Amino acid sequence: MPITQLDEYRYLIPKSFRDGMNVEGLIYASKELIGAIERDETLKQVANVATLPGLVGRSLAMPDAHQGYGFAIGGVAAADLEKGVVSAGGVGFDINCGVRLLTSNYSLEEVKPIIDSLLNQMFGDIPCGTGKSGILKISFEQLDKVLLDGAHWAVENGYGTLDDLEHIEENGRMVNADPNELSKRAKQRGRDQLGTLGSGNHFVEIQYITEVFDEEAAKVFGLRLNQIVVMIHSGSRGLGHQVCTDYLEVMQEAMPKYNIKVVDRQLACVPIQSKEGQSYLKAMAAAANFAFANRQMMSHWTRKVFERVIGSGSLRLMYDVAHNIAKEEEHRINGRNVKVLVHRKGATRAFPKHHRDVPRDYFEIGQPVLIPGSMGTCSYVLVGTERAMSETFGSTCHGAGRAMSRHAAKKNISAEQLIHQLKERGIHIRGASKSGLTEEKPEAYKDVSAVVDVVHHAGIARKVAKMVPIGVMKG
Amino acid sequence: MKQPFEILEHPSDLGIEAHGNSMQEVFRNAAHGFMSVIAGASKIKSCENRSIVLQALDRENLMVRWLTEILYLYDAEKFLTADVKFETLTDTLLKANLHGEPYDASRHELKLDVKAITYHQLKVEGHDGDWIARVFVDI
Repeated sequence: MPITQLDEYRYLIPKSFRDGMNVEGLIYASKELIGAIERDETLKQVANVATLPGLVGRSLAMPDAHQGYGFAIGGVAAADLEKGVVSAGGVGFDINCGVRLLTSNYSLEEVKPIIDSLLNQMFGDIPCGTGKSGILKISFEQLDKVLLDGAHWAVENGYGTLDDLEHIEENGRMVNADPNELSKRAKQRGRDQLGTLGSGNHFVEIQYITEVFDEEAAKVFGLRLNQIVVMIHSGSRGLGHQVCTDYLEVMQEAMPKYNIKVVDRQLACVPIQSKEGQSYLKAMAAAANFAFANRQMMSHWTRKVFERVIGSGSLRLMYDVAHNIAKEEEHRINGRNVKVLVHRKGATRAFPKHHRDVPRDYFEIGQPVLIPGSMGTCSYVLVGTERAMSETFGSTCHGAGRAMSRHAAKKNISAEQLIHQLKERGIHIRGASKSGLTEEKPEAYKDVSAVVDVVHHAGIARKVAKMVPIGVMKG
Repeated sequence: MKQPFEILEHPSDLGIEAHGNSMQEVFRNAAHGFMSVIAGASKIKSCENRSIVLQALDRENLMVRWLTEILYLYDAEKFLTADVKFETLTDTLLKANLHGEPYDASRHELKLDVKAITYHQLKVEGHDGDWIARVFVDI
């Protein structure tokens, strides 16, 4: 049975799409984007997720969805807290990979002449690139504190201010974290990597606001035309990767005990309330805290760079969101409130105004949603909506999504050519690796504006502002 | 003549397809393929040994745990694997000595950060001296 188009931006995967689907699938896409989604295994993966026990609502995919491992990237699935399952693959390897945005008092004209100095200083002060260790050497005891307290640990140790914590999803600390649920290996892999950007699509970008779509929301978020902002995209590094690896094995081994069979091994899962399920959620929360601390430390160093190079002014943390996470939340389903575990795998929480988890100063507008584009294109600030709450468990898209393999991206262009091309467009780049740069060239990704337009028109987030980079630091 | 391994590329994936005339050879070639993704495998010297024992649920699971072990040694201990000698290799048990050396920034080029080994389209099959393994890694 093929998929059916419900309206301009919604495509339904009926239960007849494959055997064993417990719920329907729903894809958010435009006519153009659904073509790309149909070309890889995304639909199949969304349908596979729909076979998991205890799901409520629908198995969802956002317009930036593309083929992942088990779950599609851009997937959202909610499981009944009592009867449902948790899947480590439903969060993915880079637990709490996420984005934060720092706003400045500077305008484009003020920063443009000193962009190279800023980038050079940032490149010197923030460890980045493949295999790079952090500046800070911490003991296992200190690491346990990071895992317990996340961004709070960072602030207590001088990386940022108390005001920052109010502007981070979960206030920068998932309270159910338990460092004892992580293997020694996960800690060993991550201890050296705290305060590092990593490589791949992770970046720090100095951007400026080119367009404001929603004046009221922009004012509340502290955004204005031509303003310089800094976006940081990074995650939980090797520590989070190892937590997912470890618990995929734990879940696979435990599944027969709970009489669970999955159609793809990468979907290994256990009941949320089982011993293994609870252990995973505590370990995942600890890894998420590591990522919150990681982004907090890099923000601190970015602030220092601005102080050193410009000499005055400050960067304010506007917001920090997770893109890969599972959260216990309450949602209204068929007229009643239900407690669920929402898996967001390459998706962003998008809570509307008046939700208790929205920061006080944004309470009358809604939660900011941060959407990074690919290197050298644009990024967006959106705001959560009521419709996201009623349709997508308060979730929306997370970025652009790759459209080209790394190998294909490297063809026909050298790093020098790419740097020159971007410079001509006013974008200065520093990259730890030359091949890493060409792999991340703008054309290797889908058009982030097309993705954002879909969620805006479908009503599962609203556009607030658009940013374009003038300086990019890649891992 | 099939290559010991080849790298498979898709928009969001990177895979290793290894060939061999025995299970040991396909596991060894998968390790070589994997190291070629992480670092310039040809420049790694065999000056140190690591002894490892792995148990698994089945052959495919053993392949994931095998490459996960090599990834861990690199990412946590900065040990680069050059070659491998098996003592025991069944569908559920692997005992091996890894030969390699610690990462040296002056000689080794690190190419990619691999997050993890996945079960996506995983395959380890063989008969009559013709073995194939296909593994995708998350990068």
